[in-house]
Amino acid sequence: MSILLEKHIVELLQERNEKAISLLYDHYGDTLFGVAYKVVKDEELAQDIVQESFVKIWKKSDSYDPTKAKLFTWLFRITRNTAIDKLRSVKTKTDKEIQIDVSNVYKIGVDSIRPEFMDIQENLGKIESKYQIVLDALFFQGMTQQEASDELDIPLGTIKSRLKIGLRELKKIYGSSYVVLALLTLIS
Amino acid sequence: MKEKIKAFLESDLLEKYLLGNTSRLETSQVERYIVMYPEVRKNFEELQENLEIFARLHSLRSPAGLKEKILRRIKSQDLGRRKFRRFAIAASITAFIFAGSSYFFWNQNMSLMNENTIVNNRIQNLEADMKQQLEDVRNQFIVLNNPQTKKFYVNGNAKAKDLKAVAYINPVKKLSYINVRSLPNLPEDKVYQMWAEVNGEMVNLGIIKKIEDRDRLLPLPYGKNAISYITIEPTGGNNSPTVQNIVANIKY
Repeated sequence: MSILLEKHIVELLQERNEKAISLLYDHYGDTLFGVAYKVVKDEELAQDIVQESFVKIWKKSDSYDPTKAKLFTWLFRITRNTAIDKLRSVKTKTDKEIQIDVSNVYKIGVDSIRPEFMDIQENLGKIESKYQIVLDALFFQGMTQQEASDELDIPLGTIKSRLKIGLRELKKIYGSSYVVLALLTLIS
Repeated sequence: MKEKIKAFLESDLLEKYLLGNTSRLETSQVERYIVMYPEVRKNFEELQENLEIFARLHSLRSPAGLKEKILRRIKSQDLGRRKFRRFAIAASITAFIFAGSSYFFWNQNMSLMNENTIVNNRIQNLEADMKQQLEDVRNQFIVLNNPQTKKFYVNGNAKAKDLKAVAYINPVKKLSYINVRSLPNLPEDKVYQMWAEVNGEMVNLGIIKKIEDRDRLLPLPYGKNAISYITIEPTGGNNSPTVQNIVANIKY
């Protein structure tokens, strides 16, 4: 996301211009939908979550402080927390299902992946699953490192080192895909 | 200091903060560290970038029509909010008017209540006056109409030759009245005052004001072998009669 565009959207949000939501959706809609899906693993539920999240984003737009966090970080927090709340309120989901399902890392949403993201998806595959699991637990499941250690039955030290390596691997993808990604975001 | 930063970075507070999972206390601690230490700031920026990349790697094509649904919902909510705001403004104006008129009516009610008390008091006084006057008139009628009533003509002595009065005494009903018909004029600083000696006691009957109603009867205290005097006294009246200034006396 270009810094200029981000600034523009923030300005529109602060002016309470509805165009901000339209732009936000165009640039983050798919990613936030992916985040919601990753948490609840249900397409309809994910749709509801994205809808609720955007309403919250609109309502709380004056509480966003660009000096404290990037726009995406703020959007991610709202969406992920909405998803986790939803998951708690939906009783049909058992605790077990909320836990990390390793096999899902590759399966989720494969059918609906945008063709333009295919390269990135392939790149994702390049990260070893043991790193992915840790990144997944920390970023999507919102576990603390200690919780991830307990949940995955991996020593805390290993979690820490896998997180570091995982992030480094991510950086590599970031390095190779950044241009493509940036172009795609600008075009879309 | 470096140890402190290292310990901070090794804890997962920054990651928790990134996801919005910190308590209020932790949040303020993390924000303070981010502002104070460039190393922490750099770490946080990296984390934010990584989060975005990692999340983008999981992007899914969102269902068709979801964007329109969201925009519609936001529009209708804004409309609702605007309507509510208009309603709130109208409601507060109404409340203000209501409060104002309540105060106005309360105030008016208070002054009406005060006025009512005054009017009631006046009516009570009038009633008492009327009763008193009626009683007087009744007594006067009894005295004047009774065959046992004795009538005395009173004339002034040398000091007030023109003084003429008629006294009515009824020993049966124990009522006595006097009708002062004419009084000679007095200098500004003098007045006529009436007294009665009843059962050995001198009673002050008050100052005789200018006779406007010649037919008016003044009540006298009744007593056996009582004497009534009219004296000339200084303006304002006296506490006891000045004997040498007696102008008339009535024995009854």
